[in-house]
Amino acid sequence: MFKRFIALEWKQFSRSSYFQKGIAIKILLALGALYFIGMAAFMGVAGYFGLQKFMPDKDPITVVNNFVVYWFLADMVFRYFLQQLPVLNIKPFMVIPIKRSTVIHFLLGKTSVSFFNFLPLFFFLPFSVTALINGDYSILNVVSWFFSMLLFTLSINYLNFLLNKNNKVFYVILAILVAAGLLQYYGVYSITEPAGYFFNTIYEKPYAVIIPLLLMVILYRFNFKFIRKDFYLDGAIAKESKEVQTQELTWLNRFGKIAPFLKNDVRMIIRNKRPKQVLLMAFMFLFYGLIFYPQESYQDMPAFLAFASMFVTGGFLMSFGQLVPSWDSEYYKLLMSQNIPYREYLKSKWSLMVVAVVISFILSTPYIYFGWDIFGMIAAGALFNMGLNSFITLYGGVLNQVPMELNVKAKAFSNTQGFNPTQLLIALPKIFGPMLIFYLPYYFINFETGIICLAVSGILGLVFTNFFLNQIEKVYQKQKYKTIAAFSEKK
Amino acid sequence: MISVNNLSKSYNGVTVLNIENLDIPAGQSFGLVGNNGAGKTTFFSLLLDLIQPSSGYIKNKNIIVSESEEWKPFTSSFIDESFLIGYLTAEEYFYFIGDLRGQTKADVDEFLKHYEDFFNDEILQKKKYLRDLSKGNQKKAGIIAALIGKPDVVILDEPFANLDPTTQIRLKKIIKDLDENTGTTILISSHDLIHVTEVCKRIVVLDKGETVKDLQTSQATLEELEAYFNK
Repeated sequence: MFKRFIALEWKQFSRSSYFQKGIAIKILLALGALYFIGMAAFMGVAGYFGLQKFMPDKDPITVVNNFVVYWFLADMVFRYFLQQLPVLNIKPFMVIPIKRSTVIHFLLGKTSVSFFNFLPLFFFLPFSVTALINGDYSILNVVSWFFSMLLFTLSINYLNFLLNKNNKVFYVILAILVAAGLLQYYGVYSITEPAGYFFNTIYEKPYAVIIPLLLMVILYRFNFKFIRKDFYLDGAIAKESKEVQTQELTWLNRFGKIAPFLKNDVRMIIRNKRPKQVLLMAFMFLFYGLIFYPQESYQDMPAFLAFASMFVTGGFLMSFGQLVPSWDSEYYKLLMSQNIPYREYLKSKWSLMVVAVVISFILSTPYIYFGWDIFGMIAAGALFNMGLNSFITLYGGVLNQVPMELNVKAKAFSNTQGFNPTQLLIALPKIFGPMLIFYLPYYFINFETGIICLAVSGILGLVFTNFFLNQIEKVYQKQKYKTIAAFSEKK
Repeated sequence: MISVNNLSKSYNGVTVLNIENLDIPAGQSFGLVGNNGAGKTTFFSLLLDLIQPSSGYIKNKNIIVSESEEWKPFTSSFIDESFLIGYLTAEEYFYFIGDLRGQTKADVDEFLKHYEDFFNDEILQKKKYLRDLSKGNQKKAGIIAALIGKPDVVILDEPFANLDPTTQIRLKKIIKDLDENTGTTILISSHDLIHVTEVCKRIVVLDKGETVKDLQTSQATLEELEAYFNK
């Protein structure tokens, strides 16, 4: 029976829309995957030597053990937000003569074949091998430690399943994490030490591999029971339907003609899973500057600082804007046949992006800590984002005619939406444009002139808003039928 | 009101619709019947400028629909679920459509009062998003939304499908009322011959993209249609 399931899975995989894309994208995707695998492997090898070099008096495996708890915690959080769960597919199997337990075992087994479970493999395997070759370790200990790490990863995999499906489990785990975090923060009790002790013990006593094994088995059984109990149409696979309130959002009326669209966009963002993910991403981008600003080495390369500054305020603009007509793909026909001038529609999207840049800019004020030069750069970057990048992003969006399921989380690393050569070409001016506009005057005149040029180009863009919107409207009009056809394709 | 001139649509050389001439005068209730693949939805999509004609054109109140957007203010339609916005509640959706058609919230509330029977307490104040309503209830919301703002032309694709019997009867009343008491031009497609002969003054039969019958509805129409489809 499993063989047949696997055949079905293979068909689902090989016939899915992203696999039907051009060969170039497939190669790029494969390269991307190889890159991540390579990076993980490299981190594994380099991690060992790095730890040895920077902490010569400590044993690399012990160091990893001391901090691995944070890796697992981060893994949990990432999975919660990014890992897609395959529960919905059981519906067709409910009425055909296959034992329920078989279906559930397969379902749970399938979740183990996830990118999230392989990534640690690519880190821990080279790390363990390097340790065995270069260090003085017992093979038995290292091998059992390696398997412990994998079993912990799988345990998180199954825990995540419960977290997503069972509110009780979610709140209990959340409470524990928050409590542990607070205790650690206020210095009452640190979980790092006992956790480190725990993982080191697992390493020292090879038979302790039984602990993660048991943990995994228990979680697996728990999942199994949970699904078994709810293996009904109105159970595990029922769509959640919470009571919701009608929201008037009258405060948006001040935006006049575009108010109805803005209201819809705000509701779309707060009521669907996919846009919420984008919002989270945009928030993360706020911290992008922290990678560049504190480092000495970048201080002499202000072009890179300009690059980072664009992202601090442009996170939402880029991640939301590049999918602009796609957000409305589920009801695009309505928008195209209702009494809606294209321009108002575009203008509302544009306004949303501009407002997001302003909000990001306000939130970025703590960067003043890194000096007024940096903050000036962020301000100029914000202007550039509002005045030019907003239009470039909108323009690029229409070339991205991929229907989107709003209320489904994007799959990690299988999201090729918006991934075509034109899109890539359009991304170039968004990123290198501001670098150049800043760098040339900086190089020939001085830093201040660079910032002023960047700001002025943004302001110019704002001055010509109408012109740009008109041009973009023309492109959208031209692409209208293509877009409608693409959006009505089955996902 | 609506006039079709040498309209055709083909995909990869296969013609799916070919109508030489069709005039629908203002205020007519017009029914379109035909088997699957006859071209009903294609025709409506062309009328709404959702697809491009391969040749010819459709005029809606003397506006060529593929060349100008001026027909949109007086034309309204419900074709399928992609005309609903899933993450809105029914009220929010009605107000949104109202906004687009220049109706205030109070106007929309007043308008909705007339359809309380039709909604049968299953649409308003349900505290649910449209995507969580049943197919039939989604359809109810979509049909009524298409009537907001007194459009001159209303286009409904298979409005009776998925509705429960009571609602079907109520919908027939609504359409008849619209036909008799307003100057609205109503275009309906249906697989249900009884319903369509009951509410439409004129019925056109499409077969493989061509008009094969054009009937003014009378006592004999239903029999004639049944005889035609019983081939």
